[in-house]
Amino acid sequence: MEKDFSLSLEGTTLTVKLGETLGINNAPLLMEDLNAYRGKGVDKVVFDASDMTYISSSGIRTVIFAKQKLEKNPVIEFKNCCDDVRNVFNMTGLQNYISFV
Amino acid sequence: MTVLRFQPIRGKAEEIINAILRTEEVVSLPAQAYTIHLVVEEIVLNVIDYAYPAGEENGYLEVRTDKVGKVFSIEFRDHGIPFNPLEQAAPDTDMPLEERKIGGLGIFLCKEMMDESSYRYENGENILSFKLYGSEKE
Repeated sequence: MEKDFSLSLEGTTLTVKLGETLGINNAPLLMEDLNAYRGKGVDKVVFDASDMTYISSSGIRTVIFAKQKLEKNPVIEFKNCCDDVRNVFNMTGLQNYISFV
Repeated sequence: MTVLRFQPIRGKAEEIINAILRTEEVVSLPAQAYTIHLVVEEIVLNVIDYAYPAGEENGYLEVRTDKVGKVFSIEFRDHGIPFNPLEQAAPDTDMPLEERKIGGLGIFLCKEMMDESSYRYENGENILSFKLYGSEKE
């Protein structure tokens, strides 16, 4: 597995800078890292997808995890999401619960 | 047609996925790369996680990729416990994000993204097949 993402907390906003893919190669690691922010008052998670070209169901699970397990029911935002990835969110019906910017 | 055979164990998941994505048939379809990658990842992980719960040493995953005219097909075979993943109930895509179950999206996405999906159990093997129509090099 490769850790090609980084997380940073500024106030109550957690930014996740994603790599090229979010799937089996790195999603379990991201979920572990997100878990470390439980109880830290995060009310917004920004996924910076500027470099991302692929997400699988393992990757989508990390987005659902962020929404459900960070205590404050955080707002989920995706920055610069490519069409292929956006299309997968549309198929799963999650596009209505994510802000795409 | 390309036929590949693997030992489906968790530590080899990425290696198996990458080997399938490097087959001639898959490489020739860059416009469908996303769809094929997703299906390969979801099904390989399903077989690794569920086909051989007792950790059978002789467990295998055989993958056949083919392209006839404009139709791309991929078939996954294992001799693990009989299981038709296509019968799995579809997730409720209208349910709010905060109420969603964390799992259950993989097979749903495969069915949504491929043009045809089928399952049969034959000679002790689970045979799961997918097809994409109009697959062309772009």
